[in-house]
Amino acid sequence: MRQKIPALAVWVFVISALSQPVFAQERRPERIGGKPNLNGIWQAVNEAHWNLEGHSAQALEVFAKQMGAINTVPAGQSVVVGGEIPYLPEALAKRAENRAGWPASDPEAKCYMPGIPRATYMPYPFQIVQGEGDQILFSYTFANANRPVFMRDHQRAPVDLWMGRSNGAWDGDTLVIEVNSNIDSTWFDRAGNHHSAAMIVTERYTLIDEHVMQYEATIEDPETFSRPWTIRMPLYRRAEENARLLEFNCVKFAERLLYSEFEAGDAARPSGSR
Amino acid sequence: MSRHILLGAALAVVAAPAIAHHSFAAEFDINQPVQLKGEVIKMVFTNPHSRIFLKVTTASGEVQEWSIEGGAPNALIRRGWNRDSLPPGTIVTVLGYRARDGSLSASGGSVTLPDGSSLNATDTGAGAPQ
Repeated sequence: MRQKIPALAVWVFVISALSQPVFAQERRPERIGGKPNLNGIWQAVNEAHWNLEGHSAQALEVFAKQMGAINTVPAGQSVVVGGEIPYLPEALAKRAENRAGWPASDPEAKCYMPGIPRATYMPYPFQIVQGEGDQILFSYTFANANRPVFMRDHQRAPVDLWMGRSNGAWDGDTLVIEVNSNIDSTWFDRAGNHHSAAMIVTERYTLIDEHVMQYEATIEDPETFSRPWTIRMPLYRRAEENARLLEFNCVKFAERLLYSEFEAGDAARPSGSR
Repeated sequence: MSRHILLGAALAVVAAPAIAHHSFAAEFDINQPVQLKGEVIKMVFTNPHSRIFLKVTTASGEVQEWSIEGGAPNALIRRGWNRDSLPPGTIVTVLGYRARDGSLSASGGSVTLPDGSSLNATDTGAGAPQ
């Protein structure tokens, strides 16, 4: 009996701790330190992760035989302002090469950290953790990627990074983040759209109402594009009472793709065994 | 039987990353120090080891491409390295230890730059705050 009471007390504590987010959400202040409160779990609901540009629905050859209409590409309208990405000729040829090698060529298939802006509109939620301090944390489901947004101490990182270096500032009620130090190995989508290490992304997050944000990202990369270009899309708050980020440790999902050469092949498997 | 096959597959998967991340002694030989002077082709700050690719011309005139393995990016950054430390074309002298398999690769020690300054590329100690 003596032992049961503390155990019960622990459970009461655990349960009350777990219910905190729900209460916190109900009491969510509109502003934090005079700035809009962006805290919460957000997600894009569109087809941009397949292709930023407008595209028709299509079947994927690699899955068609086993999965039929499952795992196909839904049609999507362009999220690029003006419709098309202004590639330089050589960079356009590189995109064609990326497409020809898909899906193995896609860093998403390898569970690499997606970089910005791709992390924003992958089909997984992400979380913004905002206080009054010097940093705002963005945490993404895919590959457990995250990035601190530095509201002071703006600088470049010493080396190029998968998630870049994020320097943030408020422009009125819009959170503006300049992302520099981007590694050249991330893509924009599953359609092979790519960039170089010279890319600077300028993001703008603006609350439209409590549940919707406008997201804009302007891409500048003179080594890949003939001029800066912008993508724009709404982001929606995940409104479930128990909304939270769940683990998506995709490393183990990518191992067979990356290391299949080290796997015992079918030939090595004795017949009749499974 | 099937359990053995499953175990084999699991070992194969586990073994693959081990090829990339390993102890010094597994791949390099402390008894084979080497000094290389050459031109930097490129340097990559990758985990778990950074890598310098070096074009070396031997005494007989043969041009060789060496791969010099260094510490993880975080460790090198703490010692003052950054993306501009070794631009392609830089002539450097590297002290290191040769790979046991005789390939043109080595574990890097010190890297001396044209101005005489040197950077430590060693793959020992992360230099993280204690």
